[in-house]
Amino acid sequence: MPSWSDFEPYIFTGLASGAVYAVSGVGMVVLYRTTGVLNLAYGAIGALGALVAWSLMNSAHWPAGAAYVACIAVAAAVTLLYGMVLGPPLARRDPLVKAVSTLGLALVLLGAMSWIWSQNASAYSMTLVSTNWTFSIGQILVNWTQIIALIFAVVVAVGTGTFLRRTRLGTVMRALANDREISATLGVPVRRVEAAAWLVSGVISGIAGLILSDIVALDATTLTFLVISSLAATLIGRLRSLTVTFFAGIVIGLVDALANPFNAIYNYKDMTPFVLAIVALLFLSRRRSAARTSRMA
Amino acid sequence: MRHRRFRLVVAAAATLTTLTGGLAYAGVGGVSGASATHATRTAHAADTFSLSHCGLGNGKKATGTPIPLGAIVTNQPGTSFTDITNTAQAYFNCVNQNGGIYGHPIKYYVEQEQTNPAQVAADAKKLIQSDHVDGIVGNTSIIDCAVNGSYYKAKGFYIIDSGIASQCYGSSYSATVNMGPRYSSDGAAQYVIDHGAKKVVFDQSNVPGTGYNAGGVQLIAKAAHVPFVGLTENVPITDATSVAEKEVQAAGSGGAVVLNFTPPEALVILQAAQKLGLENRVTWACSTPCNTDFLAKALGPQWNGKLHVNAELNLPSAAGTDLALYRKVMQQYAPSVALGSFSQMGFLEGEIATSALLTIQGAYTPKSVNAAFVAVKDFKTSFLCKPWYYQKLPVHLPNNTDRTVTPQNGKMVQEQGCFQISAVDPVVKYIRGIEKKMNL
Amino acid sequence: MASNASPPAFRPPAFPPSGAAPSADGALVRALRRVGLEPSDRGHLVGVAVVLVVGLGIFPDALSLFWVDTFIQVAIYAVVALGLGLLVGQVGMFSLGQIAILAVGSWTAARLDYATHLPFVVVLLAAGVVAGVFGVIVGLPALRLSGLDLALITLMFAGAVTVVLNTTNFPNGGHGFLGYTSSPFGNPPIRRPSFAGTDPAYLRYSIVVGLVLFLLVIWHVRTKPGRAWATIRQSESAAYAAGINVTFYKLWAFALAAFVTGVAGAVLAASAPELYNTQFATQNSIELLAVVLMGGAYNLWGAVAAAFFLDFIPSLLNTWNLSSFLLIILFGVGVIWVLVTSPTGFAGQFPKDMARLGRALRRLATKGRGAPPMAPAVPAGPTMPSAMPAGPTMPSPADRPEPAGGAR
Repeated sequence: MPSWSDFEPYIFTGLASGAVYAVSGVGMVVLYRTTGVLNLAYGAIGALGALVAWSLMNSAHWPAGAAYVACIAVAAAVTLLYGMVLGPPLARRDPLVKAVSTLGLALVLLGAMSWIWSQNASAYSMTLVSTNWTFSIGQILVNWTQIIALIFAVVVAVGTGTFLRRTRLGTVMRALANDREISATLGVPVRRVEAAAWLVSGVISGIAGLILSDIVALDATTLTFLVISSLAATLIGRLRSLTVTFFAGIVIGLVDALANPFNAIYNYKDMTPFVLAIVALLFLSRRRSAARTSRMA
Repeated sequence: MRHRRFRLVVAAAATLTTLTGGLAYAGVGGVSGASATHATRTAHAADTFSLSHCGLGNGKKATGTPIPLGAIVTNQPGTSFTDITNTAQAYFNCVNQNGGIYGHPIKYYVEQEQTNPAQVAADAKKLIQSDHVDGIVGNTSIIDCAVNGSYYKAKGFYIIDSGIASQCYGSSYSATVNMGPRYSSDGAAQYVIDHGAKKVVFDQSNVPGTGYNAGGVQLIAKAAHVPFVGLTENVPITDATSVAEKEVQAAGSGGAVVLNFTPPEALVILQAAQKLGLENRVTWACSTPCNTDFLAKALGPQWNGKLHVNAELNLPSAAGTDLALYRKVMQQYAPSVALGSFSQMGFLEGEIATSALLTIQGAYTPKSVNAAFVAVKDFKTSFLCKPWYYQKLPVHLPNNTDRTVTPQNGKMVQEQGCFQISAVDPVVKYIRGIEKKMNL
Repeated sequence: MASNASPPAFRPPAFPPSGAAPSADGALVRALRRVGLEPSDRGHLVGVAVVLVVGLGIFPDALSLFWVDTFIQVAIYAVVALGLGLLVGQVGMFSLGQIAILAVGSWTAARLDYATHLPFVVVLLAAGVVAGVFGVIVGLPALRLSGLDLALITLMFAGAVTVVLNTTNFPNGGHGFLGYTSSPFGNPPIRRPSFAGTDPAYLRYSIVVGLVLFLLVIWHVRTKPGRAWATIRQSESAAYAAGINVTFYKLWAFALAAFVTGVAGAVLAASAPELYNTQFATQNSIELLAVVLMGGAYNLWGAVAAAFFLDFIPSLLNTWNLSSFLLIILFGVGVIWVLVTSPTGFAGQFPKDMARLGRALRRLATKGRGAPPMAPAVPAGPTMPSAMPAGPTMPSPADRPEPAGGAR
């Protein structure tokens, strides 16, 4: 049985990887709550932005700050374009059809990124400026990108929650995501509000892309399919609670990392997000009907 | 005009081939007099195949009937080996511009695959039975040797490839220019043990064949009385900081970590180690895939001399006749492909195949071409430490002596000259015995 | 509701009911009815006959081995798509775990093959049964969840299975049922039936197995389970009210879908010399749903169309030497295109487009003879799929009540 000192370093690595799940999870829930679309291309869009930033810095010698802005702009533009072109024709379809359609976008982006950036079988990496700012806690070196990731997830979760609940535009977005037609009948400027929602979530996915490309890897495939394990956190948050999604992400990261000292289950620890999501969802769904009634009220 | 001349040449080639067999080639290509005899032809080939130019190097465009060669290469998001086939193609283009194979250009069919065994099996059948290729050169696929091995054997094909799966090494029908994950990891482990590692941790991606890959390192550590720990990681790695932490904890102070990953995965682990300040805590080593300037550049000067990479092939910038040609051909025919181990493998495979094709007397058929491939021996090249050979052997590991390189300010530089992979590994021992007996 | 003898889903408008069956064939009709077929299935029977003649007779020997191998995959994945189509189209349950079930079938078949000398048919059935049991386990959440939640929890199952496959170096070929080997020579090949050793023969075998599984599913859809599923799909409360055992029939659908998928997995296991976990990546389950929606989940032929999207078209494009990355892009564009333009999927759209094309051709022909043109009500663009086809007889996804999403 491993001792406490074996676990100590993994608390920090676990928080860092928990931030990854939290950032991706919270970003996906924001889009789902504002547009009603589960965006499976969330990771691919962020990866595209990050790779563009990498090219601008390494080939065109842009300063880091400008490249980061370009990353966010690319992600926002792609998200907005998709939302404006394909949002309306799919608006009345099943949520799953909408999700599968974003898979189409993810594949287009993945193919394009692989074509452009991985021909040379080379490894890409982009170290954010903040990664070089470090401090030590005990034996562990912590860098500011990890802290920023956690702060970013908290800000998005709290900010979006407040925005959706307290502002007029937020209320309108919730109404739209719930029922597009009734909202339109009530005089909501559907196209403009939806554009705002897609744009904001695009910006979030761009920032997330920057952070994840540093913490996880600047790799199109890894970031694209990271959404699958990140879905675990959103699923525990039932695709609506930003707070639950955030904490679910942190818990997944911690459990995953703290399994490290147990050699027998070392390789199985990657099941953590999936198993936690299944257990949580089955447990939560027991009280589902009651909870739903209270939510509707 | 050109069209008619081409048809004339084709017709002439066909007629002469059927009439006079092997004696006709030189005449068709217009390389030398039609009176060439077997003896002079052989001498001719030996003369004209020089490592300082492509193939015959006579500057004449080859217009005869093409000689079809094929390859299967993995190209999927995250894993792309097309640098190898692109470079082989570049070399063949250069050969075709320089007289071809006595006037016959090489036509290169490349099938891209996405690690789906059904698709890989179909690709091999397409190459051999639909495209009617005479030989298979430059195969670099994660699963090809495992999936198509028995098919190649049944069809009498001797492939010249860059091996990944263990089946590429332990077989009669495949000879590789590289030495593959197991033996390259052996070399990396040897380096760290020779430099005083008190413990060896070997970490690799969790794919079929992990047990085999770890086996060699384990034996080498055991022979040196150094404790061994084997780890595997499911890829893609999403929590590299935990992986790096785990490796360093397992190695302990004075220990060494040997990585066997693709360049992107190795890079995330090494960078995570750096972010945790672990680059000085243990000795870091890597099998061949880490040997790219790309990785050295991404790691930066903090890693100068701190990562020891086993290099199956020479550095792209090293001296040597065919290395100079390699840089020239890359510049002229494949400017978009990066210089590095992958493009070197493709180039070397192209060279070996071309030299073998130039020895063929008679028609170019799968039978004659594969006989020429398997007959290759004593192929001297500046890419490798020792001459390369094929020969009819039950197992093939012609590349079993290599170098160690290390990053230095964004480039890989040589750290240790040619050294033999330890014969503690039984396969290496067996191969050395054969080499001695057959004087290879 | 209960009198809804057969859902319209398996009767595309291109094959309209033929009205009264010829009386001389009365006995045949009764026999057909007994196994769930109707005289109005003439269109289908013609289609099946075409598949049989072409697939079994001409094809396997005429094609190059490259295409034979490709069509073996098409036959296998048509069955996998059929399983998912059954869940989505008949019962209205979305599963994103079907590829994991396929992996379970393949694994069971491979290991039984290494460990025993059972006849291939027994291996097929065993793989189907094991996968079926697994399918019931995956389907258990369906008793409480629906729509997006159900789809995502099955995706979590698939993710967990993928981790197990990677960790155990699936399928590995040690001795016995669970043996592990680190031999450099890899796994022994998986046996094929003795009479189907060559690729063309194995293509015939795959088609026959596929047809049997299709018939099994049709039989279910046309009989009592199909009626129960249709009722559940339209309203679960109504199904309860009508006394239908909703729990049983939901799980039965999962079990049946998993059974056919498992058998397909066994056929897949022996189709190529090796099996790899890369064939069963988690994201493939989402891709499978994409192609099933593209092919048309509400139509029998949709499963075949889906398999063509998944296996045939990539092979075709591959022979044109396109970059494999371009194929991924084209596939993504295809997914979006079909989802946006034809909500009923390719199999629902195709007959309409054909009918429209036919009308246009007829009009051209009559024009050529100098006859007056037909009524202007006929759409102008002959092959352009309309954005919102009316499809009165087809329950399209757009017509369905949306499952309760989390956003509510």
